[in-house]
Amino acid sequence: MTTVGEALISLLEAHGVDTVFGIPGVHTVELYRGLAGSKIRHITPRHEQGAGFMADGYARVTGRPGVAFVITGPGLTNTITAMGQARADSIPMLVISGVNATPTLGKGLGYLHEMPDQRGMMERLALFSHRITDAGELPGVLARAFELFATSRPGPVHIEIPTNVMALPAGSLSAGSANTTAPRAEMSAMVEAANLAIIAKRPLILAGGGAKAAGTPLQKLAELLDAPVVTTANARGLLHKHPLGVPASPSLKAVRALMADADLVIAVGTEFGPTDYDMYGDEGFLLPANLIRIDIDEAQLGRRPATIDIRADSALALEALAGLIEADRRNDRDRASGAARAAEARDAAWQEIGADMRAQVEVVETIRDALPGSIIVGDSTQPVYAANLYYDHDRPAGWFNAATGFGALGYGPPAAIGAALALPDVPVVCLSGDGGFQFTLSELGAALDANAAVIFVIWNNRGYREIETSMRDVGVEPVGVSPAPPDFCRVAEAYGIAAERLDDLSDLAAALKLARATKKPYLIEITVA
Amino acid sequence: MTDKISCGSRLMQLLRAYGVDTLFGMPGVHTLEAYRGMDDAGMRHIGVRHEQGAGFMADGYARMSGKPGVCLLISGPGVTNAATPLGQAYSDSIPMLMISSVAATKDLGMGRGRLHEITDQSQVTAPLTAFSAIATSPDQVREYVARAFALFESGRSRPVHISIPLDVLTAIDDKPVTRRAARGSRAPASAGIADATKLLAEAKRPVIIAGGGSVRASSQLVALAERLGAAVVPTIAGKGVIADSHPLALEATLDRPATQAMIAEADVVLCIGTELAEPDIWLDGPLPMNGKMIRIDIDPEVLVRDYDAAVAIEADAALALADILAALPASIPSKESHNQVARIRAAEREALTPLERKHVKVLDALRRAMPDDGVVYSDMTQLAYTGYAFYPCAGPRQWIFPAGYGTLGYALPAGIGGKIAAPERPVMVVVGDGGFQFTLQELGTAVEQKLPMAIILWNNDSLAQIRDGMISRKIPTIGINQHNPDFIKLAEAYGCRTASPQSIEALEQAVTAALAADRPTVIEVRESAGFLA
Repeated sequence: MTTVGEALISLLEAHGVDTVFGIPGVHTVELYRGLAGSKIRHITPRHEQGAGFMADGYARVTGRPGVAFVITGPGLTNTITAMGQARADSIPMLVISGVNATPTLGKGLGYLHEMPDQRGMMERLALFSHRITDAGELPGVLARAFELFATSRPGPVHIEIPTNVMALPAGSLSAGSANTTAPRAEMSAMVEAANLAIIAKRPLILAGGGAKAAGTPLQKLAELLDAPVVTTANARGLLHKHPLGVPASPSLKAVRALMADADLVIAVGTEFGPTDYDMYGDEGFLLPANLIRIDIDEAQLGRRPATIDIRADSALALEALAGLIEADRRNDRDRASGAARAAEARDAAWQEIGADMRAQVEVVETIRDALPGSIIVGDSTQPVYAANLYYDHDRPAGWFNAATGFGALGYGPPAAIGAALALPDVPVVCLSGDGGFQFTLSELGAALDANAAVIFVIWNNRGYREIETSMRDVGVEPVGVSPAPPDFCRVAEAYGIAAERLDDLSDLAAALKLARATKKPYLIEITVA
Repeated sequence: MTDKISCGSRLMQLLRAYGVDTLFGMPGVHTLEAYRGMDDAGMRHIGVRHEQGAGFMADGYARMSGKPGVCLLISGPGVTNAATPLGQAYSDSIPMLMISSVAATKDLGMGRGRLHEITDQSQVTAPLTAFSAIATSPDQVREYVARAFALFESGRSRPVHISIPLDVLTAIDDKPVTRRAARGSRAPASAGIADATKLLAEAKRPVIIAGGGSVRASSQLVALAERLGAAVVPTIAGKGVIADSHPLALEATLDRPATQAMIAEADVVLCIGTELAEPDIWLDGPLPMNGKMIRIDIDPEVLVRDYDAAVAIEADAALALADILAALPASIPSKESHNQVARIRAAEREALTPLERKHVKVLDALRRAMPDDGVVYSDMTQLAYTGYAFYPCAGPRQWIFPAGYGTLGYALPAGIGGKIAAPERPVMVVVGDGGFQFTLQELGTAVEQKLPMAIILWNNDSLAQIRDGMISRKIPTIGINQHNPDFIKLAEAYGCRTASPQSIEALEQAVTAALAADRPTVIEVRESAGFLA
């Protein structure tokens, strides 16, 4: 007999899930019955926030949804910060939780792990939340989730299974057919857009996280139009070292000047979020007047006025646009040099961020150059803030962090573990501050368990310096910003992980190479003067 | 006091007016305005390592002091990180006030992608709180704070979340603060008291079940039990409301068979301030009772839930019990129930499994080392599952356990909050190896605050309760045998004292030394240790 729990596992397998992150509990044991016989690998974090962030990291490097299994009540409330981050950054995530037995729900009887209204909370955070009350619902609900991940703006989805339903007989279920075809653009809008682009003299492209998987058509379009490409934090790695690439934040004056100078802006997969476009809250961001906007999300398109809105998958839309423009090159000679405009913006941005931040960006560059093609997962820490402002990563989707959007501290370590498990042959570096690292440091144990060869680099400036600076800026005497950090190398050793402390940044490259050679998790603490 | 200061600074004065002198929090760019007023208002700030820690510390502070615990957090991840503590406080009816920032009013619900933006913050916490509100002006901040404290003081305490938009936090608030008078405790209706008194006076085998709602009615409860000669069974939350050494007291064994049989045979069962929830009784269904049930609760919903009570009294426990005591006739028929107490206590101890006996050996040692006014904060660990029943307590709220919501990682931060609330009282934490790793970073807070605490780390090298569940259901054991760190090294990395006692005497000495130290001590006890065999 197949139970609901077992059927769930085989349906997840059918949808291509190969890894789930979770902590089993008395309320989810029935979900584990089918796992051992399946091809799905189970990774156990030390706290459910770790399960959520690992699923996020896994999703960001594979493009496939990350899946978490958690218990009802505290298991789920421990996961919601990760769900909030996934919602803010449009990351496909499937969170499957238990819930108390159906006869007890909503009555407030005080059952273990009981919440008054678990789904009520989830509906606010997740794209949708569904309770399984009958085995027959499983294929359709999973198909709905996977279709949504593939064809619209992704985010977290929640499915809860009551404990009395988990063990019910399920019969034989086959996976529902999910339509995973990405949406194409409407042709008339594309023609209009192409017509605008063809006559533009100083076009500019803004690429956001939604363009991550559209590197080839993006580059093609940029070259056809001789248009500089500004990449937001989540788009870094696109057009690496390309003369048209501007890996700098639109919060910088230099990049804003480039935008203001453009006579046409094509924005691809970016929400114009303030953490990219108005980091300093100076309200200096102006929406371009002549704007073509490509986004998979109608709601996003509706939030800001554009000359032409194109609701489509970014890669498909860029390919189609490039094709139309390729057929009509009559204005090419009249364009201002894109490479010159890009170079000017890059130079000005690099100057603008100042000496301290340039030094911090150079630390990130040291990591990139020591381990080419690596994935750098950041937490909210000074070098990450600096590199979000200006840094040219060497692979798409290889630079990501939670310093933007929801801004959850402690994201880095578990997300890096998720990434390393998804791509075991790629070097993964977690760059975290001493404050953020302590949010999730127990996941060192999970890294060792699963042999996720993450190199944890801790930027130890002994406190929340970013907050301290803000306090001083507005005349508040700093309070609570200098928590004494632990001895991080000892913490690593306690978990059986090799560690070293660097006082001199010139040793960093060698230390990283050595760490990578071990093929095991490793911790490097950088003490900041 | 009509100086022009910001709403955030004024909030500090307002909270001081309501008797709050300690906040648990982690500052962020979004909460700066509250920090501005802290020093001037004489507010103490305890900085934490993760917002879950702030929430649990506020909970532990409230359970120790009886006053509301308050935490101050940033919007978005700060709030969601503290969602689990809200859930725990909701389950266990703990007065907790969570104050957080939220996006500026012009940005609420707009989906602009601002830093820390969340779909709908107040609705995310609404199911975990008595109420969750966004204060859209300084006046509304006052109103919501007044409503929160009225609830804490006169109703069933539950957490409250007040979100203050960034533009409101910085707005000028030039009005002085006042504390609005709360309503006070709820007195019972006289008809209910008369019915209850009659039933109790005539009962032959009365039993009292004392829940968390009775902890402030300890003296009235003991007096009534003695007048009636009634056996008293405390729930986990009610543990210690009658001293464990009292001849009428059972241990907190409401979930064990002999105790449940005694209750089934009672002719009157007086239930005070208890939900009789699943983690209290561990039965799939209501607690069997053949006699008449009298229920006293502050929450009218609890009075009608699940059971047909013969008499249901909506009131503060202390007031209701005092009224019953006053109404009892001078002479009442003698009772049989007290004769059973010793027998049932012995029967429950007889029935202990070998593993539970091992637990009791450890618990007895801990108790010997602990002064009578000491408080134990326990986590979800097998040692605590035995401990909530068999660790003897002299008074209420001396064994704290996250019963309802059942949160791993509760005990360490809650214990820190308790120690901050009452520095003069000895505090011990009992936590398992799995639960410890949920919140271990708060060792940093305990060291920073120089808190002498004995942290008993019960190490059975796995999520043992889950493992046992998997084995009994014939499910392959997956995800329960994680690699454990060297806990001693980990504690040392945070600057804690450590001990790994290898005898019962050494364990007692380690606890005694820990309670007198200048910082926390992690004491690791392995389930497999030879001296426990």
